Amino acid sequence: MPPVLEVREAVKRFGGVAAVNRVSLSLEPGRVYGLIGPNGSGKTTLFNCITGVDRVDEGEIWFKGRRIDRLKPHRIFHLGMGRTFQVIRVFPELTALENLLVVTTSGYEEARRRARDLLGLVKLERLADEFAGNLSYGQQKLVELARVLMTDPDLILLDEPAAGVNRTLLNELLDAVRRLRDQGKTVLLVEHDMKVVMGLCETVFVLDHGEKLAEGAPGVIQADERVIEAYFGR
Amino acid sequence: MKRGLPIALALAAIGLTLYPVQATGYGIRVMLQLFMWIALAQSWNLISGLTGYVSFGHVAFFGTGAYASSLLIVKAGWPWPLACLGGGVVAAGVALVIGWPCLRLKGPYFAIAMLGLNEVLRVIASYYEGLTGGGNGLSLPTLYASVQIYYAMGLVAAAVTLVAYVILTSRFGLRLMTIREDEVAAESMGIDTLRYKLYAFLLSAIGPGIVGGLSARDQGYIEPISVFPLIMTITMIVMVLFGGKGTIWGPVLGATVLFAFQEAVWARFIYLHQLLFGAIIVAVVLLMPRGILGVLQQKYNLPRTI
Amino acid sequence: MGVLITPTMIGQVVISGLLAGSLYALVALGLGLIFGVMRVLNVAHGPLMMLGAYTTFWLFHWWGFNPYLSLLITMPLLFLVGVVLQHFLVRRVVDAPELSSLLLTFGVSIALVNLAQLAFTSDLRSVEFLTGSFIAGPYALSKPRLAACAFAVAITIGAFVFLRSTRLGKAVRAVSQSREVAQVCGIDVQRIHLLAFGIGSALAAAGGTLVAVMVAIQPEMGQVYTFKSFLVIVLGGAGNYPGALLGGLLLGLVEQLASLFLTTQVNEAVAYVLLVLVLLIRPTGLLKGRV
Repeated sequence: MPPVLEVREAVKRFGGVAAVNRVSLSLEPGRVYGLIGPNGSGKTTLFNCITGVDRVDEGEIWFKGRRIDRLKPHRIFHLGMGRTFQVIRVFPELTALENLLVVTTSGYEEARRRARDLLGLVKLERLADEFAGNLSYGQQKLVELARVLMTDPDLILLDEPAAGVNRTLLNELLDAVRRLRDQGKTVLLVEHDMKVVMGLCETVFVLDHGEKLAEGAPGVIQADERVIEAYFGR
Repeated sequence: MKRGLPIALALAAIGLTLYPVQATGYGIRVMLQLFMWIALAQSWNLISGLTGYVSFGHVAFFGTGAYASSLLIVKAGWPWPLACLGGGVVAAGVALVIGWPCLRLKGPYFAIAMLGLNEVLRVIASYYEGLTGGGNGLSLPTLYASVQIYYAMGLVAAAVTLVAYVILTSRFGLRLMTIREDEVAAESMGIDTLRYKLYAFLLSAIGPGIVGGLSARDQGYIEPISVFPLIMTITMIVMVLFGGKGTIWGPVLGATVLFAFQEAVWARFIYLHQLLFGAIIVAVVLLMPRGILGVLQQKYNLPRTI
Repeated sequence: MGVLITPTMIGQVVISGLLAGSLYALVALGLGLIFGVMRVLNVAHGPLMMLGAYTTFWLFHWWGFNPYLSLLITMPLLFLVGVVLQHFLVRRVVDAPELSSLLLTFGVSIALVNLAQLAFTSDLRSVEFLTGSFIAGPYALSKPRLAACAFAVAITIGAFVFLRSTRLGKAVRAVSQSREVAQVCGIDVQRIHLLAFGIGSALAAAGGTLVAVMVAIQPEMGQVYTFKSFLVIVLGGAGNYPGALLGGLLLGLVEQLASLFLTTQVNEAVAYVLLVLVLLIRPTGLLKGRV
């Protein structure tokens, strides 16, 4: 099966520093991948490059057989890629329902139905008409997740989904991710919570100082000396 | 409350339609100007209130419309209603030309670009003397049509408010608001922000374009300084901020209150008047950034679409 | 066009451009400091400059005060004005969306200009202190412009020495780069904000004083400098202080060069077109800036 996402030797510089330095990765459809690394290792920058928010200085990014590194974020989104953000970015002055509605171009009635369904999926139906800015942190995270699912994307990028979320909510999130994988979708998540990564991801990529340090199954990565060094120093 | 509004509107519409029958020439002039300000404020609201992209040069469209329609009347012999619509179209064209490059800029940089726009257009109008009469101005054939222009202005004001209503109750309006809330997130969620900003910008230019033409027709004479005055931009902004940006009736409320204030103070004390406007802007930004309607919305839990 | 351009004319233009540019750089540095430290676009920058010019004028008019000496008064005075503005007004919108600070300073600028209209009337004033030119070979160097350039350079160097070598200056640069990190390092960010706005205003005032000797003083005189200062910041890169200098000089040069080929009226549009071009092609500035 052809990979759903391919990053080839991506380089992204800010000033003189390479935040992402010759990173390559390949994602097969229907699997859950993890992207880990110490703070400042370039994970969010890589996400930004993949989704088109930032443009790579060198290298290529291919999505479902199309080259996307020169495309604007909204085009990439419509090709079937969705993402959530490290710092929650719901639209605070729109209601939870409206947050989902603005995303699709399908007919109003159809969109409303789908939005309500998705909110139901994350157990937020009763808050559909509440301004997103008034919701709790965890609720906003769920709205962001539901929003990302509105157009049924093939690849979903989750930036620190477990951050600041309580145990119950976390389990719901993890269940949601597993369901997505079972539907044949691909998920790439950035996470600091090792338990989440080890329990959920089939393959893990490790970034350090913008470079890909290691790649493999969670158990292998955990034992890799270089990874341990990157996190804890010598 | 909900039942009352359509009735109130209908009564107001009837009253305003019958007004010229027994009003003085001065009274008609005043109301005509009020309609103009409502149209201007509401138009500014469409771009700056909804998308958060502050347009400091919006009066450029007023002046463009004034010149375009006046030239159509003088040089091409068009009847004034058609010429004014033409002014609106030309203004939209200018908005397209300016907006296409400038709306790609981030908010503050767009504002800077719009700051200079006004001055540039004034300079251009002065420069092309052959066409526009340069500093000497342009005179229109004499016409006593205050009452017709009163109705025309009223129509434009109503039309722009209707457009605001339609937008604010639609998904198009929601998408415009996402640009204001978080443009990066909006773009990442599949919203082509440039296209939406451009639509809003074009829509926001038509009203001032038409109204500029009507105003020029009413005055019978225009010159660069009179149709590109900075005070007009300032006034548009104060009216919308004061009444409540991003709402439907906010600009109408702001225009009405501040126009009344302007009629009382401006004629005699122009600098004091402008000084107060500046102070009002500062006060509104610090104390009630959502304007009067915004305050009411929060206090009485009113819907967004008022 | 039929205008013969001689090397001498080019030389004259370059010199005039650099002289004018140094003044732009001075004023723009003030704006750049405010933007770099607080991310606030100070639309009231031009009016602050205007106040500096008026102060110089009244000092000269009533007491025959040497305009260049009046720098010692206008700079501290407007420093205080800036601090007051920052403390009572700007401080409240620093963390709000940028739209708010833009509108706020816009309101302040309108208020200041009209206060000046009420207090001083729109009569044109001038400071007849230094006139005429030095003739050096084929070149004519306007004396007031030379003096303005000399002082502008001196003050700008002073500002840079402050930024590079003093603790406060380094703190200012730290806050410009990252407010959070600066706070963690124990820097009192509020104080730095006050300082930055104060210094920015003082630099604008200095520009006003120097310009007072050369042009007609009236309440609206600062508006064009606000816009051109923005342009310089965009050219040099937001938050890039040396960039502001280069941007200022570049603007001065471009304007003078353009005046060779275009009429003075269209000249004003040159700055504008330049701005839009730069914003589109290289929004981070000609040097590296932090957008």
